[in-house]
Amino acid sequence: MSKNNGSSLAYRIISIVILLVLAFLFLFPLYWIVTGSLKTQQAINSATPDWWPKEFTLRNYETLFSKRTAPLFQLGSLTGPTVPGAIRWLINTVFMAVMAMLLTCVTAAMAGYSLAKKRFTGRYLLFSLIVAAMALPKQVILIPLIREMSSLGLYDNIWAVILPTVGWPFGVFLMKQFSEGIPGEMLEAARIDGASELKTFTTVVYPMIKPGVGALAIFTFINSWNDYFLQLIMLTSSNKLTISLGIATMQAENSTDYGLIMAGASLAAIPIILVFLVFQKYFTKGITMGAVKG
Amino acid sequence: MKKLLALLLALCMVFALAACGEPAPAEKPAEGETAETAETTETTETTETTEAPVEITLWTYPIGNWGDEATVKALIDGFTAETGIVVKVEYLTYADGDDKVNTALTAKQAPDLIMEGPERLVTNWGVKGYMVDISDMFDDTDKAEINAAALAACYAPNGAAYEYPVVMTAHCMAINYTAFVEAGADQYIDLETHTWTTEQFFQAVQALYDYYGGTVGAIYCSGQGGDQGTRALINNLYGGTFTTADHTAYTWDDPLNIKALKALYDQDGIDFDPGINGGEEIANFYNGIFKMAFCWNIAQQLNPNSAGTGAGLTGSGDEIVFMAFPSEDGTAKLQGGIWGFGIFDNGDPAKIEAARTFIKYMCDSEHTADAVRASNFFAARSSAEGTDLSTVWADNEIMDEYTKILPMLGDYYQVTTNWPTARTAWWNMLQQVGTSDGSEEAIAAAVAEFCKQANTPAA
Amino acid sequence: MYKTMSPRLRRRENISGYMFLLPSLIFFLGFVVYPMIMCIWTSFTDANMDINTPTSFIGFANYKELWQDPVFLKGLRNTIIIVVVSVPVVCIFSLWVASAIYKMKEGPLSFFRIVFYLPVVTGSVAVTVVWKWMYNNYTGIFNYLLKNGGIIDKNINWLGDPKYALACIILILLTTSVGQPIVLYVSALSNVDHSLVEAAEVDGATNTQAFWRIKWPQIMPTTLYILIITTINSFQCFALIQLLTSGGPNYATETIMYYIYYTAFKLSRFGYGNAMGVILAIFIAILSAVQFRLAKEK
Repeated sequence: MSKNNGSSLAYRIISIVILLVLAFLFLFPLYWIVTGSLKTQQAINSATPDWWPKEFTLRNYETLFSKRTAPLFQLGSLTGPTVPGAIRWLINTVFMAVMAMLLTCVTAAMAGYSLAKKRFTGRYLLFSLIVAAMALPKQVILIPLIREMSSLGLYDNIWAVILPTVGWPFGVFLMKQFSEGIPGEMLEAARIDGASELKTFTTVVYPMIKPGVGALAIFTFINSWNDYFLQLIMLTSSNKLTISLGIATMQAENSTDYGLIMAGASLAAIPIILVFLVFQKYFTKGITMGAVKG
Repeated sequence: MKKLLALLLALCMVFALAACGEPAPAEKPAEGETAETAETTETTETTETTEAPVEITLWTYPIGNWGDEATVKALIDGFTAETGIVVKVEYLTYADGDDKVNTALTAKQAPDLIMEGPERLVTNWGVKGYMVDISDMFDDTDKAEINAAALAACYAPNGAAYEYPVVMTAHCMAINYTAFVEAGADQYIDLETHTWTTEQFFQAVQALYDYYGGTVGAIYCSGQGGDQGTRALINNLYGGTFTTADHTAYTWDDPLNIKALKALYDQDGIDFDPGINGGEEIANFYNGIFKMAFCWNIAQQLNPNSAGTGAGLTGSGDEIVFMAFPSEDGTAKLQGGIWGFGIFDNGDPAKIEAARTFIKYMCDSEHTADAVRASNFFAARSSAEGTDLSTVWADNEIMDEYTKILPMLGDYYQVTTNWPTARTAWWNMLQQVGTSDGSEEAIAAAVAEFCKQANTPAA
Repeated sequence: MYKTMSPRLRRRENISGYMFLLPSLIFFLGFVVYPMIMCIWTSFTDANMDINTPTSFIGFANYKELWQDPVFLKGLRNTIIIVVVSVPVVCIFSLWVASAIYKMKEGPLSFFRIVFYLPVVTGSVAVTVVWKWMYNNYTGIFNYLLKNGGIIDKNINWLGDPKYALACIILILLTTSVGQPIVLYVSALSNVDHSLVEAAEVDGATNTQAFWRIKWPQIMPTTLYILIITTINSFQCFALIQLLTSGGPNYATETIMYYIYYTAFKLSRFGYGNAMGVILAIFIAILSAVQFRLAKEK
């Protein structure tokens, strides 16, 4: 920094300018989604775009909410009040993402700890299998997976999306990396104290891998929210769609009503962006720790 | 901490059970068991009907207002009130509907009822063995009342009927009449008969192109629905054929088709656009970007557009006029659209019986008129159980006007073997022609290649 | 340590090890491994949707047919193009951004980190539909800007023209792929041992020299990890194709992933589709193995 101050300063200014331009370009699609959802049909279809909506309208949202209706929930024979389909899709999506997150965190934390710290026969084989499967594209197994879900009676059920997400081995891999850092002496000490395995896990292991679990939680939540492919092949009834699928269906139905589609896209994107913004610290910590140790 | 984890797990389980218990569709017997269940038909039937109402699912493509939740709900409510059968409806789109049905079939979770045309119900799912033969539903009165072409299209080569037709129409094209007048192209059309010749068509396109520039009309070919428009345009221009008369092979390589493709390719203002599909073509037409649309029919003409300016008008209020496809002598062979219901064989006799009841109610009863009205198309039969259906649209001026071009209804060839493959090959052929250099050899090569593909049954 | 354990302790380790692993293993074996095995098995049959003909074992026929299928070959070619273009671009781009921002204060640093990560979070469907609009031939913003800027005089049909369609898809893919690598590089760069960098500067090394000699070797593991995840991601590009082009125009954007879906649900040839899946899996496995091996060596 000391000797080439002049050129370094110039370089820094230029790079900041470029960064700002890039940031603008990366934010633009999002801006376009949100403002587009508020534009009138004329403005949307005009060859000259309005950079900022000249005339605001909520019509796109009204259409979005009146297009399809669905019961708010169905538990057994109990059926909730009728609401716009989009609301039901959001609820489905949240349910799916939360369930996938909880199940993944619990199972992966346990399995990761076991793979990192337990000396059992076959662990190298299992771990290699897990690493190999991580590279496997989900699409490859789509046909058998549909058949399997169908024979389990889970086709067109949100669980058909949750279960394969939980089975996906990335979480186990991440948790193994975190658990490697637990000092063996602490586990030894717990054992000497006569603590049960489960107690050791909850009192010694869990507090140490907590940041990792947090990272995995948010990671799984966002990934499962956005896993369009799995949702596409598993869900068909309009009551059971997720918000991504709902938007995709809408765009198939009204492929050039961009105002309506942008309203749907806003509805799909904004909640997950908010979740990300709130938890982004854990998130960045998580993905870096998983990688650096990997 | 332990408690927390236990609680989480317990919570998961509860949710799991609750959610599984809710929609898990009643286990449907595998194919092997079908025969067995059939034997116990009577017992199942009586218990099902007396104890719990039968629930069936209907998947419908957007056929006029059969894609509109409020309209369909009214019809279904009437049906449920009379029969006690509950119908759950799912609305498909042409863009992803086929994929959805195929996925559901793969998962053995097909709907009980489906509403579409014979090109899907008969040629695809029927022939592959997924549908129930309903030929016994047509008695002699029905056979006399139903339009002969529509009835014939519902039968597969093996003599089974996989569809009960309810409505039909002839597909046409549309022009932005206001723009035509402005560009002085209205002199090329016969407004009275809604017809024009090939020569007039090209003159009109040229006039519009000279006046507006840009794209006058697009040969959309990104795939999905609306293929009837491009087929009819290309076949009619110089009288080419699409299939042999006995519907056994595809004949796209007819030199007359190649001539038509070449003429379209060379014409200013006609663009082959693999970036858009039929629906997007219509949207661009509504937005005034295109001055004509090839994917049109009477339901489009009656539908108020999404900009809210009213039926038969574009988004900016220009007048839309429907036209027959241009041909050398001015009389086109229009592509027919036939729509009706078919039943998927899910192995449950009670549901199949309920589905039959549904079909009878919608297609052959005093309620048929309502089902027809919902579609914005014409009834596929002259009368149903004593109700005259020829007058369903008597009070509607546009429908009445449309009857002028109905006699031009041509051969319904969508039941030719291998149709799903042929449909895809057709799009790919158009894409290849559009991206070629436009020489006659290149066009002929593309046509030959994909025509061969269409004629090759899938391995 | 294992060898020194008493047999009793060893047994306890075995049992507890598997007990902890069990819940995860059920999901993993049930919903990943089992379908994978089924997939391999089906790939040797002519399974299809026609229930009138029974499924029969046909050996390697599907695999043989693949190499004569022009669409598959085109899909393979496009997939390779996507990977070959996007992987280096993502790596270089994210490394540059990371090195430009990692020394910033917490505020601006997280601002940039978030901005570049947002397209990932927004979700493939929402991102895709807005790009579809921006690419639109008639009302899209790209044609408007280029035309008004005097760069083009006729609207370009971005997604409808085989010359541009694949490039357009890759551009979207890039914007949704750089988020994670940037985060990773930022942390890798800030973990670089700074005493070494300072020592080099004292020795008169320029910034560039210091970077290549000191920092680059230290962030190598991160680079390899990024290479692997970006490769896998690029292979999996599906939503973009399905929602934007369906593989068209004229197969210009056909990828293996989309062709698998297409074969399965439009042509209903399950055996054939699965054979393609197996080939793809082998492809990715080999690439990842090579990259892992490299990572170990470093």
